[in-house]
Amino acid sequence: MNREVECMDTSHSITRRESIKKLFRLSGSFALTGVITGFARMPLPAWANSQNKAFMVEGIGQKEGYSVKELTRKVFESAGGMKRFVSKGDVVVIKPNISWARPVQMAATTNPEVLEGVVELCQEAGAKKVRIADNTIHDARRCFSLSGARMVAENTGAELIFPRSSLMREMKIHGHRLDVWPVFVPLIEADKLINLPVAKHHALSTLTLGMKNWRGGVGGRRSALHQDIHQSIVDLAQFFKPTVTLIDATRIMTRNGPSGGSLSDVAEKNTLILSDDPVAADARASQLFGKNPENLGFIRLGKKWGLGTDDFLSLDRKQVSV
Amino acid sequence: MKAKHLVWARRISQTFFLLLFLFLLIESRLPQDIFVDYSLVFSAEQDLALDQPIKFFFELSPLVGLSSLVSGYRIINGILWGAGVLILTVLLGRVFCGFVCPFGTIHHLVSWVKPSLKGDLMVKANQKTRSQRIKYFVLIALFVGAVMGLNMVGLLDPISFLFRSLALSVLPGVGVGLRALFDVMASSDIKVFNYLSYGAEVMASPVFGYSDQAYQGAWFIGVLFLIILFLNRIRPRFWCRTLCPLGALLGLCARVSILRLEKDHDKCTNCQLCVKSCQGAASPIPGEKWENAECLACFNCFHACPENALSFRFSWPPGLNPRPDMGRRAVLGGLVAGVSFPFLGRLDGQLSKVSDPRLIRPPGSLPEDDFLTLCQRCGLCMKACPTNVINPAFTEAGMAGFWTPRLIMTMGYCEYTCTLCGGVCPTGAIENISVKEKIRRPIKIGSAYVDRGRCLPWSGNAPCIVCEEHCPTSPKAIYLKEERVIAPDGKTMAVQLPFVDLRKCTGCGICENKCPVMGLAAIRIIAAGESRSLRNQILL
Repeated sequence: MNREVECMDTSHSITRRESIKKLFRLSGSFALTGVITGFARMPLPAWANSQNKAFMVEGIGQKEGYSVKELTRKVFESAGGMKRFVSKGDVVVIKPNISWARPVQMAATTNPEVLEGVVELCQEAGAKKVRIADNTIHDARRCFSLSGARMVAENTGAELIFPRSSLMREMKIHGHRLDVWPVFVPLIEADKLINLPVAKHHALSTLTLGMKNWRGGVGGRRSALHQDIHQSIVDLAQFFKPTVTLIDATRIMTRNGPSGGSLSDVAEKNTLILSDDPVAADARASQLFGKNPENLGFIRLGKKWGLGTDDFLSLDRKQVSV
Repeated sequence: MKAKHLVWARRISQTFFLLLFLFLLIESRLPQDIFVDYSLVFSAEQDLALDQPIKFFFELSPLVGLSSLVSGYRIINGILWGAGVLILTVLLGRVFCGFVCPFGTIHHLVSWVKPSLKGDLMVKANQKTRSQRIKYFVLIALFVGAVMGLNMVGLLDPISFLFRSLALSVLPGVGVGLRALFDVMASSDIKVFNYLSYGAEVMASPVFGYSDQAYQGAWFIGVLFLIILFLNRIRPRFWCRTLCPLGALLGLCARVSILRLEKDHDKCTNCQLCVKSCQGAASPIPGEKWENAECLACFNCFHACPENALSFRFSWPPGLNPRPDMGRRAVLGGLVAGVSFPFLGRLDGQLSKVSDPRLIRPPGSLPEDDFLTLCQRCGLCMKACPTNVINPAFTEAGMAGFWTPRLIMTMGYCEYTCTLCGGVCPTGAIENISVKEKIRRPIKIGSAYVDRGRCLPWSGNAPCIVCEEHCPTSPKAIYLKEERVIAPDGKTMAVQLPFVDLRKCTGCGICENKCPVMGLAAIRIIAAGESRSLRNQILL
């Protein structure tokens, strides 16, 4: 898709003329997209139509014993505050990666302090409801409990959504590989969707980062997705379109992924990566593992199908630290 | 105390204990609101455990404690509750049956709500019969069998029987039905139905299970339960009178009870109302010998008698009550059966030759010999297991191990950091180990092997690493080797082939459970390699 056409500046308040212009341009780009790809049904990526230029904020915890929650706050602050993403009265669903029933220090799950920070920021931005949802691999009760998500919910009053059959609905994924697949409905019914993955090793896709986190947003025969892992990752990432992605790389799992189980599999990176470009976020995070993003199939495909860019250096970049 | 008060006290007590039983039954699962404090996780070992005293009724049943003692030489936790019940029985007779036993209460209810037998027919049904000796046969057979090393008491212990029936068949059965309804409502286009279904599911799932629970052979458990309930319509409290081994044990203990039924022949008009309301068929009518061992202490006869010809009194000094009518055949037959069972149970060679590869016991289970002396087959571990992997064995454990716990990896898998089954086992047939122990020792329950013909990468059908991905040990017991294989279309394909390192594999079965080859997975678990057995091993 043609990025230049659909991008526009929204950093200042929008006048009526501008909004009309925006509408025209949007409809124009819709039509253009339809002409170019021949798929009029293909919607615009959510992150592409309201922002001028994709951004990326990296937060780094430098001091000994720094507060992860404070780092989380700083990262969002530097991106323009949570209000930029969450409006008053929104139902926000946060999708952490809590697939495994492992203690938090094993880096198999999203750091609960990051989760708590994001939940609080959403609440402060005026969200009507904040929900934490994941279709876990291990038993959800044990995953939510051991990963700290349950405690976050207790502390903040956020809602924990447990996966169950009545919350799975078959939907058109409109992917290149996936057509109809059962989807975890709360993620679809959200006004705003925040992707909160943890950065981990994976034997087949090399890494489990942001885009792969959407595997926890669907049900059904998930283990069959591995037969075309990169394309299915990209199909799901395109389907879910998060408002923003925050990759938790405070602790990363460098081997034995994605479940790990030993502290020797874990490296402290003290990094958070916030971006509205899911491909760029993954590309940046892959460098923490010493990988070249161009060698990762799902990043290449994500770029190919227009989900974002692997050239994260071209983004509007900032860095904060505590 | 007046008869009316006694009867009401009994009803209140029965209601209380039945509700308590149901409450603890429902609480025998991991709740959704359980959590650990993640800020403490570095300093403290935190295992998830259930906080309700869910073993209480098993501790209360003297049969559970006694059979564990004589069979497994183990004093179970809470055995004093059982001892208390025995002492109470020695003093007051079978008040446990009349006032406490939840199974007895259910029979009582089924017998007395719109009774199927009226007038003379009920009087006839409540006459004592020789069939009531069967329970002594059952008790002696089970008890002698337990002494000889095969503890099958739990098959017919009323607490185990009720728990197993409700937990493995009634609750899941109702739950499956409800969930089907909710799913229909949730997929409706009418928004109100969606919200209603979510709400109803939130209410129902803590009771009936958070997901569709299923148990191998649960239909049989359910059918037996229904038959036993139905028999109450032919003879009130059929189970308690005829079959219950705990009732038999308590009946024997009641021999010296000082609470006795006193009959006044002169006042009796032979109206038979006492017999008509008698729950235990204990011959309450004056003119017949009161069967102390059969009396369930329900106080119905006392209450029913219009002439005040009957009353329960404490009689001091204690003397022997009439001898329980056991019948010589029941005793001898019980002895013969009890001696035979343990030997019959070994005839299939499960213990001495080769055990069934499908007999995968929960983590922490004792060696098979000891396991069979303690397991009550109550189903508590099966109910508590969060993944539904623990199922009642049908033939896999032989006759001796009927309904003992067995892991079926297509139903669930053993979660690496979970030791809930050991924590809930009332007799310690599954040891109460910590997660740390489970991982450090490590406790192996079996071994995985790859079926290369079915495996997607091995057969050249597709790349796949699902078993390796899910393998929970670190380093992983399933490792991959990059290889080129020939795909069905003749082209070469780069895949990663899975191999199993038997030294690291714990047999948890998540690989089998998550394998995309449905039905009969391409990687499967066999019991060989289980750490509880010295013999059932693979490696030197």
